[in-house]
Amino acid sequence: MSMPLRETHSEVRELSYAEAIRDGLAVAMERDERVILMGEDIGVYGGAFQVSGDLVHRFGEDRVVDTPISELGGAGIAVGAALTGLRPVYEFQFSDFATLAMEQIVNQAAKLRFMLGGAVSVPLVMRFPAGSGTGAAAQHSQSLEAWFGHVPGLKVCQAATPHDAKGLLLAALEDPDPVMLFEHKLLYKMKGPVPEGHYTVPIGQAHLCRRGSDVTIVATAVMVHRSLAAAETLAEEGIEAEVIDLRTIRPLDRKTVVESVAKTSRLMVVYEAVKTLGIGAEVSAMIAESEAFDYLDAPIVRLGGAEAPIPYSPDLEKAAVPQEPDILEAARSLVRGRL
Amino acid sequence: MPVEVIMPKVDMDMTRGRVAAWHVEEGAAVAAGDPLFDIETDKAAMEVESPASGRLHHIRAAAGAEVAIGTAIAWIYAEDEAVGDPPTGDTATTVDAQIDSAEDAAEPMAAQHPRSSDALSSSAKKARATPRARRLARDSGLSLSVIEGSGPRGRIGGADVEAHLLHSGGAATETMQGWQAEAGPLVVHRAGSGTRTPILLIHGFAGDADGWQKLEPYLAPDHPRLKLELPGHGRSPRRPVESFRGLARMVVEAFDREDLPGAHLVGHSLGGALALALADVRPKRIASLSLLAPAGLGPEIDGRILSGIARAGRKNSLAPWLRELVHDGSLISADYVAAAMRARQDAALRAYQRDLAGTLFPDTTQSFDLLPALERLRMPTQIIWGRADRVVPWKQALRAPGRLALHLLREVGHLPQIETPEDLAPLLNNLIRLAELDRPPMTLDAKGVAL
Repeated sequence: MSMPLRETHSEVRELSYAEAIRDGLAVAMERDERVILMGEDIGVYGGAFQVSGDLVHRFGEDRVVDTPISELGGAGIAVGAALTGLRPVYEFQFSDFATLAMEQIVNQAAKLRFMLGGAVSVPLVMRFPAGSGTGAAAQHSQSLEAWFGHVPGLKVCQAATPHDAKGLLLAALEDPDPVMLFEHKLLYKMKGPVPEGHYTVPIGQAHLCRRGSDVTIVATAVMVHRSLAAAETLAEEGIEAEVIDLRTIRPLDRKTVVESVAKTSRLMVVYEAVKTLGIGAEVSAMIAESEAFDYLDAPIVRLGGAEAPIPYSPDLEKAAVPQEPDILEAARSLVRGRL
Repeated sequence: MPVEVIMPKVDMDMTRGRVAAWHVEEGAAVAAGDPLFDIETDKAAMEVESPASGRLHHIRAAAGAEVAIGTAIAWIYAEDEAVGDPPTGDTATTVDAQIDSAEDAAEPMAAQHPRSSDALSSSAKKARATPRARRLARDSGLSLSVIEGSGPRGRIGGADVEAHLLHSGGAATETMQGWQAEAGPLVVHRAGSGTRTPILLIHGFAGDADGWQKLEPYLAPDHPRLKLELPGHGRSPRRPVESFRGLARMVVEAFDREDLPGAHLVGHSLGGALALALADVRPKRIASLSLLAPAGLGPEIDGRILSGIARAGRKNSLAPWLRELVHDGSLISADYVAAAMRARQDAALRAYQRDLAGTLFPDTTQSFDLLPALERLRMPTQIIWGRADRVVPWKQALRAPGRLALHLLREVGHLPQIETPEDLAPLLNNLIRLAELDRPPMTLDAKGVAL
């Protein structure tokens, strides 16, 4: 009859992003025995980025399963497990290796519900350590989330905070369809408040992180933090930037972005993936097609990654994706009418 | 290329307009700014100025014809420009039949635009303008060709259109409505000599800074008081207001001009809504927020009282409306009415306020919703309302989030600052003291992200 008090009065602790995900996995596994973890070296080794950590000792090798070094095979087993009614969470060591598993993700997981007339669903969660900044070079540093955003049948999220990383994971585990969670590697050690126990962050809902009247900055993942830092500097110069963390890139939260742009009349999209044909194009086009169009008072600005593989040299690696000074300069030019 | 003459939108509700008379005949010369034609709406007749110099051709809406706003009804050719073929469908009735709304009008008309053999040599090139500038110009019946762009490569931005409206006396019609548009910052009166965070007071519709006089002796003396006057109220300039947001922007601009590190806000009625909007865009600099019978929390408002006050030109017509504002009508003494009427003796001020009421409260509905802003606020905030308020129903306060303090005053109407200043002031002083004792950290929200 009564709601469990533990859930409504949960304590908030300071956890890192990686700890928050591990906490979410443990909460889900305690609540629901169908939840299992799969991936390369997620057992005793604890995962490439130590996200699964000690979970194998808490839940055993039947529920924390090391898979062979074949992403195609592992992803295929995960899709099959989901079809049988389990709730698998499959971890890639690097999101770059998703290329190896595309058949299972794009042709199987995303399509089966459609092709079988709704007779089955694929309640699968996949986790992708993504992004640059760790000196891991071109094959271990990409931001491929927009690839998956182009596939009907998939949902794609990018949490920017420990709170959202856990909440989106728990929401993904309640979703009947495949959900891809992209986790920026630079964020794993970031700390932040995380409620204990079970809670969810709704998929498809952006977060208005900072309110302002002069320009809307739409950002994802680590770019949210660079944009917020830039916004503080801008505020000292009299420019109030509104910062929106998209959190989910498919489905996009159209309402939050459209309302913000109608208010500020200016839009900047900041993301790490290669600039062309990506999330920046999608958000810009969404605004051009929306009722906010008539409120635009300047060209839309996209700040994205360079049209190049991520370089190994640390200086070049930094230069290849937007940094705080780039955001600052672009926002100043936009608001002061130089574009 | 010839310049289009379009049917302008001259009031908020207008979708169509009737051409009453042309001042210039087909083929005759006309200079930019000359009276070109008269239009009639449900509310008024007004004169529209020529958007360009040249010769008038292809009049498509004869006197008496009614067309959708935004419709091209004639073209002005430069003196040395060859006149093209007349557009097809040369009567207004045909135009009408083809076009149902102003938005649909632009495209079909453009397709039928008269062609000119030397179009490229003409001075009237297609204007570069942002979507916002185009919308503002369209809504004001302005041609972009008369506006100078300050952006890169001469692009016209929203600010350019606003500046043009300001300097040209607003939309061509405002002088017809009894007031001249003015420019300049809003007036802020300073009082008190304390050194602590100032209290910024924002009066309501048809009020002015003097409306705080009865309250001021009771306010904490160690806080200086800044009394803002809204445009067209008290001594502030009559700046054209296109919407609540435009009005709020002026208030933010006035706040920024004061360059305060922080302020406690007190806003009454419309001023409450504006205080809320200001707190919403400058949250870090607003230490506390007290809203007295604020507008913006629900659709209902008594438009009779608002327009009665805005229109009243004599003491006898003003007094009954003033008594509607308060619970105890005996508070409205003959002296009070005389003073109120002295403040409102300027007919242009009344005309301005009448138009402002039409813009902000069309069809006696509050056209702006500040509940979302109230949900977002994190500074100490309270709402104070008289339970006998006949202008804005106090029950709208119940829509506010539960974490706000709500004070409902018995036997008080819409003017608590005048009806019960000795009870109101402690509530205001308490919140100010509380806010300064216990300023909550405003750096992180529950999700760990800086607010």
